[in-house]
Amino acid sequence: MNSHTQEEFRFQVDLSGMINILSNHLYSSPKVFLRELLQNAVDAITAMRERDSSYQGQVRAEVIGTGNGATLAMEDNGIGLTEEDVHEFLAMIGQSSKRKDGQLLGETSFIGRFGIGLLSCFMVSDEIVLLTRSAKGGPSLEWRGKPDGTYSIRKLENELSYGTKVYLRCKPGCELYFDPANLEEWFGDYGALLPYPVVLESEGVSRTINIPHPDWMNNLSLVRGRREEVLKFGEQLLGEQVHDFIPLSSSSGRTSGIAYILPYSVNLSAKRSHRVYLKYMLVSESAENILPDWAFFVKCILWTDELQPTASREHFYENEKLETVRTELGESLRRELMNLADQDPERLKGIIQLHALSMKALAVEDETFFRMIHRWLPFESSYGRRDLGELLDENEELYFTLTLDEYRQIMHVAAAQSLPVINGGYVYDAGLLEGLQRLYPGRKIERLLPEEVSFSFIDLTADERRAYYELIREGDIALQPFRCRVQLQRFKPAALPSLFTLSKESSDLRNLIAAEEVSTTELSSILNSLGASHQEQVYSTLYLNLDNEVIARIFGSNHLEILRAAIEMLYVNALMMGHYPLNRKEMQVLNEGILRFIDLGLSMNNGGDTK
Amino acid sequence: MSMELEFEDLLDEAMDLPDSPAKIALLEQAIRVADAAGDIEQGYEARSMLVNTASFNGFPMKALVAFSWQLGQYDKHPELFEYDLHNLLWSYKWILDDLPSFPDIQLGQIHSLLEDFKLRIKKAGHSERTYDYYRFRMALLTGELEKAGEYMDKWRPVDRDSLSNCQACEQDALVEYFFMLGDDERARVEAKKIMSGRMSCAEVPHVTYPKLLMPLYRTGRQDEAAKLERESFRLIKGNRDFIKAAGLQMIYLTHADPFRGLEVYESFAPLTHNHESPMFRMVFDGAAAVLFKRLAREQVKFNVRLPAYITESGAANDVSRLSEIYTELAFDAAGKFDKRNGNRFYTGEVERLLAQVGE
Repeated sequence: MNSHTQEEFRFQVDLSGMINILSNHLYSSPKVFLRELLQNAVDAITAMRERDSSYQGQVRAEVIGTGNGATLAMEDNGIGLTEEDVHEFLAMIGQSSKRKDGQLLGETSFIGRFGIGLLSCFMVSDEIVLLTRSAKGGPSLEWRGKPDGTYSIRKLENELSYGTKVYLRCKPGCELYFDPANLEEWFGDYGALLPYPVVLESEGVSRTINIPHPDWMNNLSLVRGRREEVLKFGEQLLGEQVHDFIPLSSSSGRTSGIAYILPYSVNLSAKRSHRVYLKYMLVSESAENILPDWAFFVKCILWTDELQPTASREHFYENEKLETVRTELGESLRRELMNLADQDPERLKGIIQLHALSMKALAVEDETFFRMIHRWLPFESSYGRRDLGELLDENEELYFTLTLDEYRQIMHVAAAQSLPVINGGYVYDAGLLEGLQRLYPGRKIERLLPEEVSFSFIDLTADERRAYYELIREGDIALQPFRCRVQLQRFKPAALPSLFTLSKESSDLRNLIAAEEVSTTELSSILNSLGASHQEQVYSTLYLNLDNEVIARIFGSNHLEILRAAIEMLYVNALMMGHYPLNRKEMQVLNEGILRFIDLGLSMNNGGDTK
Repeated sequence: MSMELEFEDLLDEAMDLPDSPAKIALLEQAIRVADAAGDIEQGYEARSMLVNTASFNGFPMKALVAFSWQLGQYDKHPELFEYDLHNLLWSYKWILDDLPSFPDIQLGQIHSLLEDFKLRIKKAGHSERTYDYYRFRMALLTGELEKAGEYMDKWRPVDRDSLSNCQACEQDALVEYFFMLGDDERARVEAKKIMSGRMSCAEVPHVTYPKLLMPLYRTGRQDEAAKLERESFRLIKGNRDFIKAAGLQMIYLTHADPFRGLEVYESFAPLTHNHESPMFRMVFDGAAAVLFKRLAREQVKFNVRLPAYITESGAANDVSRLSEIYTELAFDAAGKFDKRNGNRFYTGEVERLLAQVGE
C-alpha cells in the first residue's frame, strides 16, 4: 500500500461513556477520586522539587458547606499547569500511549496521568473547576469541565500563587464522599505516608492527616532499636493489634517495608492483603501478589518506587520485575526467620506454632529452611500432638502414614503397641516427613502401611495354628468375594476385636467399583478395563485378635456357621466404622447377617440349636 | 481435630485448602461420608469439586472415577441434577482429554464415549464444534496426526459457543498439533498470540512454553529459548499437573544446558511418584532417559537426588544406569500406548529422542 495516500483519522471518544467505564469497571469505588486528586497534587509537587530539591510541598483540602451543598477544594503548591498543558491533558484522555511525535508517554508523563486522574472526579461531581498557575510561566487560568466533554478556559486577572486548586461540587447521591469524617479517613489511607503535610479543613478545624515520616523508612537498619515505634506505626496503618515484625527489603533497596506477624492463625486460602505504597502514595490495601504465597502469616506495609501499577492504580502488573521483588522479599523474610532460629529460638517457636501451616508450606519448598525449623513443627502422632524435635529425641524409629484414612485405621493399635506413628494426612505433612528421611539419613523414618502394624503382632503358636487352621480357612473363604483376607493373631489392645486394613490402592479400587455400579454403559466399561489391571494385587486384610474375649469365644465354639456369620459381620462393621460405603454385595451380607443372628438368638432362647 | 467429621465440615475444610493431595483426600473422605449416609446430592456436590481439583492436579484417574459416578447419577435422577448439566458437560471434556492417557482404555471405548458426548451436547443445544474439537484431541493424543488435521479443519471455522474451551487452550492445542507434526516454524507462529500475553488461562501459557523450547532452539533462537525456559520453570514449578511440561523442558535442556536439566529433573521427579497419568509419566521418563544419556558423557561424580520409587542401590551415582532404567520405563509405556493405538507413534518418538544424543 502506498503510504502517501493514507489519511489519518482519530476515534471520537464519548466522554460520558468513558466516565461510566471508569467508575463501573476500572476503579473499585468512587472514593478513588480522592486518590487521583492527591496523586495529581503529589506529582505536581514532585515536578516542582525536580527544579528545586529543597522546595517544601504542601497539600490542603477543604470542605465548604454540608450535604449536597458541599464543595471540596483541593489545593497544592506544585508546578501548576500552562494553557498548553491543560489542552494536552484533555487530548490525552482515551488516546493510546503514543504521542503524535512518536514519543512514548511513559509512566512519568505527568500531564497524561493528570487528565485521566481528574476524569475520575466526574464520578462524584457534575462540574470540575480548576484554578492554576504554572511555575513555567504564563497567566493564571480557570478551567471548567463538564462530564459531556465540553470545557472552557478563562485567563484570570489576578495573579495566583504557583500550583493548582480543584473545586468539586457534590453531585446528588454522593454526599458521603464529601463528609469530613470520611474524607479524613480516606485521605489518611491514601496519603498517610507522604513526606510533606497534607491538611484537611472543615467546619473551621484544621487537621494534618499524615503521620510523622519515620526516619527508618529510608534506613531499615534503624528499626531494631525502635520496636515500640514500629509496632505503633503498624497498628495505625493496619488498624489492628500487632506484637511482632520483620523488616523486609528487595536487593535494590527500592522496595522495602515491614512484615507484621499476625497474632492469630489464618486459613491457607485466606486472602493475603498487604498495604503497598508507591512513592509514598497508597496503591493497594489488598495486594496479594507482592509476597510469595507461603507468606500468609504476615501482613505487610511496603513502600516501593520500582513497581508498575495497573491502569486502575490499585494493583501491580504481574511482570518480571514484580516476580523479582516478590522473590527477594520472600528471601528477606526467610533469612530473618533463620536468624531467629540462631538468636531467639523461643520467639521463633512461638511464631512457628501459631502459623504451623504456613511454616510447613515454606519448609516443603525449601530444605534449608526445613532443616532450620523442623524441630519446632507440630505433628499429630500416636503420642498426641507433639513437636517433631520431641518425637525425634524420644524415638529411634519413626513411622508415618500418607493419608488420614491410613492413620485412622492403625492409630489405636499403634498407640497400644507404643509404635511412634505420625499422621501424614494433613496438608504438607507427608511431604515433610518424606523430606525428614533426607535430613536424618542414618535413621529409620518410614512410611507405615496399615498392614505393616501387624509386624508387631504376636503370631499364633504352632499348636494354635494347627488348632485353628480349618476355622481360619473357613473365615478366609467367607471374605474371599470381598477381596479381603482373614488373619488370626494376638495384639493390644485386647478390647479391640479386629483391625481392618485397607491400603490406598484397595481404597481406590473400592471407589472405582462403586462408580462402575452406578455409571453409564460406556463409562462402566472403561472403569472395568481400568480396574481389571489392578484387581490381582489389591487385597484388604481383617486381623482378628485372639486376645479379645469375643473373638476367642468365636474360635473356641467350633461352630462353623456362627463363625462365618460373625466374620462377615465384623468385616461389614469394620467398613462402616471406617466410613466406607457398602457396595451391593456387602449390603446384602449385612441384611442377611442381621436376620441370621436374630434367628440364632431366638432359637437359642428356645433351647434349640440351628443346623 | 475430631476424627469423626461431618460432611459439611469436611467440605468446608477442603475449600479452605489450596489444590493439593490433602484437599483431594478430604474430598474423598467427604464423598465416603455422603455415600455411607446414602445422600446422593451431597455425594454429587463433593464429586464435582473432586473432578475439578483432581483434573488439574495430576489425578486423572480419581477424576474419571468420580465423574463416572456423577454421570450415572445424573441419568438416574435428572430432576435432581438438571441444574448442573452445563458444569457436567464441562467436566466431561476434561475427562475426554485424559482418556488417551490410559493405555488400558481401548480405542473403541474412547469412540463410544465420544459419541455419547456428542449426543449429550446436541441435546443441550450445542453445535458439534466441541465434539469435533475432542475428536481432534483424541486423534492427536493417539498419534493419528493426519486424522487430527482433518478434524481440526472441521472445528476451527465453526462459531465458538459456551461449551468451547477458552481461546488460550484452543490456541495451545494448535501449537501442540504443529509441535507434534515437527513443524517448528508453524508452532512458533501459532504460539505468538500466547507469547505476547494476550491469551492465558489456568494452564496456558504453562503448558505452551515447554512445547516451544525445542522449536526455538532448533530454529536458531537460543537466547529466546533460554529466556523462555526460566519463565516456564517459574510457572510449572512444584505442580504435579505439569510433569509432562517438565519432561519437555528437560528434553530441551538436554541439548542446551544438561545440568540445569538435572535440576529440573530433581525438582519434578518426586511428583511423578504415584502420578496417575501413564502418558504424562511416559513423557517424563523418556525425557529423563535422554537427559541421563547426555549426562553420562560428563566427567563428573554424580549424586542424583532420586524419587522413592528408584530403589536400586548405586543408581544415584550412575547416570548411565539411570538412563537405562528410564529408557526401559519409557519404551514399556510407549509399547502399551502403541498397541492400543495400533501404530508406532510413541515408540518412534522415544527412539527419535534417544537418537538425538550420541553415546
